[in-house]
Amino acid sequence: MNRSLAKSFGFTLPWSLTFLFIWLFPLGYAFVMGLTDFNLLRPDETSWVGFENYRALFFDEDFIKSLKNTFIFVIGTIPITTIIALALALFVNRTFKGRALFRSACFLPSITSMVVIALIFTNLYQRGGYIAGLCSLIGLTPPLHGFLFDRSTALYSIMAMDVWMSVGYYMLIFLAGLKSIPDELYEAADVNGAGFFRKLFSITLPLLKPVALFILVINTIKSFQVFVEIFVMTKGKFDTSTMVYFIYEIGLTTTLQSGYASAAAYVLFGIIALFSLAQFALLRRKQPLW
Amino acid sequence: MVKSILALLKYALLALVLFIMVFPLAWMFRVSLMEMGSSISIENLVASGISFEAYAQLFSGTNTLKYFFNSAFVGITVTVGNILFCFMVAYALARYRNLTNKLLFASVVMVLMIPAHILVVPLYLFALKTGIYDTYWSLILPWMVQPIGIFLVKQYIENIPPSMEEAARIDGAGEFRILFQVVMPMCKPALAVLAIQVFFTNWNSFLFPYILTNSDSLKTLPVGLAHLQGFQAIDWQQLMAGSAIAVLPVLILFLIMQKQIVSGITAGAIKQ
Repeated sequence: MNRSLAKSFGFTLPWSLTFLFIWLFPLGYAFVMGLTDFNLLRPDETSWVGFENYRALFFDEDFIKSLKNTFIFVIGTIPITTIIALALALFVNRTFKGRALFRSACFLPSITSMVVIALIFTNLYQRGGYIAGLCSLIGLTPPLHGFLFDRSTALYSIMAMDVWMSVGYYMLIFLAGLKSIPDELYEAADVNGAGFFRKLFSITLPLLKPVALFILVINTIKSFQVFVEIFVMTKGKFDTSTMVYFIYEIGLTTTLQSGYASAAAYVLFGIIALFSLAQFALLRRKQPLW
Repeated sequence: MVKSILALLKYALLALVLFIMVFPLAWMFRVSLMEMGSSISIENLVASGISFEAYAQLFSGTNTLKYFFNSAFVGITVTVGNILFCFMVAYALARYRNLTNKLLFASVVMVLMIPAHILVVPLYLFALKTGIYDTYWSLILPWMVQPIGIFLVKQYIENIPPSMEEAARIDGAGEFRILFQVVMPMCKPALAVLAIQVFFTNWNSFLFPYILTNSDSLKTLPVGLAHLQGFQAIDWQQLMAGSAIAVLPVLILFLIMQKQIVSGITAGAIKQ
């Protein structure tokens, strides 16, 4: 018995160490640091400030702005991504010529490096660039200095790119969900003379509920952490700074207020935890959601 | 009549979506092959000739080859590490039932839900303090055993009846032998899924490689590309050539093993 315990302990050691040193310790350290005025420029003059950092955050215009932008990003992209992904999945679920090619083409962006995608779209969005050309073609006036150099379009342009990039991935997850719906249900519905929409709302959508909620959860966790595209495309300028960008900027570049940045990280952590819990509660609900 | 119009509409819509999805990557390849100095415009898509100048300059004038090597080295090391370690950990969690393992599995699930980006500051300080900052270790060590891998492989092992291991044990095989010669071959499908997921994530990752290294000789491709963009007046041909180099391995892998990749990338999702 003791030998098997020793073996089990030995085999799990890589994870125990990783968990302790890479996850648990930094998480705890960050929380403690968030209660101090730790600054990388003068690490020796650190003192306790309690929850002062958290209070200060809510009066920090830059933080509030990043909070607002993050929420715009999350609330703006997730429903659109989910609906387009679902529509694509329903489309691809039928057999037609070129189906495999179509599916692959949709999926490819989601395994491409975010930095690469962001660079490509920086080019497409630039002044006199491809998308500006398309806009003029249909009679719209593109922003004077390019889409990313304008407060009213920068964040939305990044969001559009994000939707483009991630729909293929969620489409595949929806497809897997569609495959698990037994054909007999549709056959029975056909016998009873149900039309396309009737089948969609009475069979497909209710049975896809767990998949849809799962997609919402992972997309929420991911989207609240939006960073790379902001870093590459705008460096947080033109009203595009997000929470992770704020944390990175304050904690590691400009003022090096690591304690303050850690408090901000915990606010983000709390928000994500809250949203995930709410979604899990929905997932557990027995009554139909729609 | 109505039917054929509908079919036509369907294919028109299909073609439009296909174009939207493919165009940006095609644009990247096209721009990377334009002559240096020609302006990036729709007219020049056709008018400009094909030239490999941007690639030549990228290899001679920048460290891109080194970045590529770093990405490949780190990606392969982390992938192999995950196959080995996640398998070991998952095996123990699946086969040895005790309190520590219950707690450890809870920690795996917990970390799966933690948004990793909130660790930027503490992980940076941790790397500084331990001396792994700006070394290959900082790119490799934190990611050698990933919770998603443990989770996937554990589920898989739990569905394999333990009879083979017991037979081997009766024949007097040692624990490591059982682990690597009996159980591991049976887990190939799960390990393939794990390898794909870990390699792709690692190949594309930016934030942690960016904050945990400083020297140019340690940059991975995404970090190197972002650096190249901020470094000088933007030279799009070169930047797109660098991007193409980052995309090509992914594209080639995808074309060769599309099926496995599709199931690999979505595996974590379907299991829930």
